[in-house]
Amino acid sequence: VSSNSDPEVSASWPEGDTSPGLPRRVVITAIPAAVASAAVIGASGCTSPAGPSGAPATRFFSSHQAAVIEDATARIAPGPNDDPAEAGHPGAREAGVTTYIDAMLGSLGVLNASAGGGTPMIFAGGPWSNRHTSGPDLMATFSALDPVTRMAWRKRLAGWQQQYATGIATLDKLAGGDFTKATPAEQDKILAKAEVGTFRSLLFEHTIEGMYSVPEYGGNHDLVGWKDISYPGDSQPRGYTSDEVEQSDGRDPVDDTGVVADVLKFLGGL
Amino acid sequence: MTRKAVVVGSGAGGSFAAMELAQAGWEVVVFEKGPSHFSNLGGEGPIGTLFSNDDLKMNVRYFAGPDPEVFPRTWRSVGASAAQYTGSVNDLPQLVGGGTVHWDAKVPRFWDIDFQQLSALGPTPGADMADWPFSYADIAPYYDEVEQLIGVQGDVTAMPDAVLKHAPRGAFPMPPGPQQRSSLVVAAGATAVGMHPFPYPMAINSVPYHGQHVCNDCGFCSGYGCPVVARPAALMPLRAALRTGRVSLVPETMVTSVQLAGSGAAARATGVRWMRMTPGGPVTGRESADVVVMAASAIETVRLALLSGFPDASGKLGRRLMMHSFIDGTAIFTDERMHAYRGRSITQCAQDTCDPDFPGARAFAKANGLPYIRGGNMELGGSQDPIEEGQSYQTLLGFVRSSRPFGTEFKQLMRSSILRDRLAGCQLIGNDMPYLDHTVTLDPTVKDVFGLPVAQVTWSTGKYEQVAQQFYIPLLKKMMTAAGAAVALAVPATTDSGGLPTGFHIMGGMMMGADPATSVTDAYGRVHGLDNVYVADGSAFVTSGAQNPTNTIMAVALRNMRHLAGTPA
Repeated sequence: VSSNSDPEVSASWPEGDTSPGLPRRVVITAIPAAVASAAVIGASGCTSPAGPSGAPATRFFSSHQAAVIEDATARIAPGPNDDPAEAGHPGAREAGVTTYIDAMLGSLGVLNASAGGGTPMIFAGGPWSNRHTSGPDLMATFSALDPVTRMAWRKRLAGWQQQYATGIATLDKLAGGDFTKATPAEQDKILAKAEVGTFRSLLFEHTIEGMYSVPEYGGNHDLVGWKDISYPGDSQPRGYTSDEVEQSDGRDPVDDTGVVADVLKFLGGL
Repeated sequence: MTRKAVVVGSGAGGSFAAMELAQAGWEVVVFEKGPSHFSNLGGEGPIGTLFSNDDLKMNVRYFAGPDPEVFPRTWRSVGASAAQYTGSVNDLPQLVGGGTVHWDAKVPRFWDIDFQQLSALGPTPGADMADWPFSYADIAPYYDEVEQLIGVQGDVTAMPDAVLKHAPRGAFPMPPGPQQRSSLVVAAGATAVGMHPFPYPMAINSVPYHGQHVCNDCGFCSGYGCPVVARPAALMPLRAALRTGRVSLVPETMVTSVQLAGSGAAARATGVRWMRMTPGGPVTGRESADVVVMAASAIETVRLALLSGFPDASGKLGRRLMMHSFIDGTAIFTDERMHAYRGRSITQCAQDTCDPDFPGARAFAKANGLPYIRGGNMELGGSQDPIEEGQSYQTLLGFVRSSRPFGTEFKQLMRSSILRDRLAGCQLIGNDMPYLDHTVTLDPTVKDVFGLPVAQVTWSTGKYEQVAQQFYIPLLKKMMTAAGAAVALAVPATTDSGGLPTGFHIMGGMMMGADPATSVTDAYGRVHGLDNVYVADGSAFVTSGAQNPTNTIMAVALRNMRHLAGTPA
């Protein structure tokens, strides 16, 4: 839910008059050029150069903040080293969820740069990645944002940066100073507390995005998120055959025990 | 002398308005509030695009807009109360192509009784029911023309007699494509409970058509822009318009008012004022016009009329907002994967419940104090993608694992994929009555990025709709169970949304009619009291029908704009 809009308008607006001459710069014939001018971020653009310690440099988080988010997201979507039940199943750590979140929050700096700041990692390009075929990854070239959309994202990311700074400080406080020093069981207890519920919801949503979005955004590293859920992801420009669309893949019973059984029972009772 | 029109909006209605007027020799300026994500629109051969198989970009980050941070709306369930919500309220895409960009291109036709719902079915208590100023027979040739231009797949030989009786038609321009497994499975359940499913008419190319690609069934369909532009829809009339050389399409520019001059019978528009954001701040300007055509979609067209101070002799401007009363069905299959991530989404539909004489419906209506109830077109099949699936589990874990609503259980659910790969959806697009107190007004406090009051939507589920839902929810469950679902869940869509309207079908607010005392626009969409201002979008609708509305938006826009083009200056 958005709060009330707070227009960032100048006091005196330049007056244009399209009656004799339309704003030809933005008529449709200029669109291919505008698309072509989108700054190019290479396929590696989502992985930052290594910092002095050997750990990846971050765009927004301090190294401590990154470590807290790394631990917290690994409790939300644990991997083999986070929960024995997840042996063989990569989690947030392996998918690079912290890198995903940091790239997103760090895009505010790109948006605020007056010029030459590059293209923020908000909208991956199109129309396809060629992931399942050969050819260039066109999703890796992020799309430019129009001026109104830039304002929207400046506002949204500024709010999220604040929520992350506050949320991380709260996790540290509840852990007696440093969330990363708490045991996994203690971290779970902290994350389950009502007082961090709002931040946990935001972090959960971003963990889901970092696990299962296209990898150009910095998460889903080596497609581990998709592979773990038997999902092929983007399919263009190959698509699917008629048989693949229409035919059954055969009998494949779900393991309907534990939480799966509980959710099925819950939904069946609605 | 060449006449000049300003068209506000480049979606389903605006694209046809621009084409029709430009081909008749008019000069046309089309203002589109959002950006363009297409290239080669006015050229030859395939249209290019930045759309992609990207769940995050489309379903989370508002790539097709509008972004509620800068263009919010507000919603309240009843009038005379403060808004309960600020944000996205059934927002249609805001970009070149409008609502025909994100859709999955479903183009059923309205039935004859949708256009004559008052005279055919009688009044309904509390509703402002009325007939359209024309019949199905009058609009049918325009449906034909729209479907030929945009390209529609379907199989008339597979359509049940009842549908052809209420909406007679000839052959489709192209045959149906591959049928989704999830759709076929649910359709079998529909047949088992006595309904008559058939291939959903869709504006998706199953063969090369008018220089555009064939759909390759990538699976990223509903909610996504098409990466191969195999469902160009509004882009086809836009291309035809641009090729006349008399049309300028101006994106990223919001029309902020229609400028009026004169009063009484002499009141008319002289042009529009617009605003555009630049890195240095907003820029404003004006554009003169002989005629202004409003096609910004129902809610935004009403907002523009209110911002412009339109006359309102009938008192109905902004009233009778209709949204469709959706029922969301969820069929979960535990023995087989539905793989609805492949194919054009939802390839089967059933229209049996559009009929007020569906077995048992009249009796149920009478028992609840209503003369009749109608369900609506049922969309059979389809699913959701991993990010939305994950969000569903995030919510559900709050109920079934409240002490630790995250962790390995979340990942176990994702691997089980009960709410994605094992899910087949089923939605009923319920007939929504026109109520005078379902309205679009200007919000008293919330402003958009340009400092203008946003649209305040007042809408809730009425008694007629609630009774219809009570009658049809058991049918949906029975159908999904017959299809083999282990879990068959059906709830009004407003249950999940907290009362917010859902489904992206928005109609009414500027209703057409012959009598200025009881309608906002005339029989051709011309605003009563303003002889050179027209509406050419869903705002002109008199009833909501029981079908996806876009085909009817386009056909009515074509009819009304052809009339305008043939009217002497």
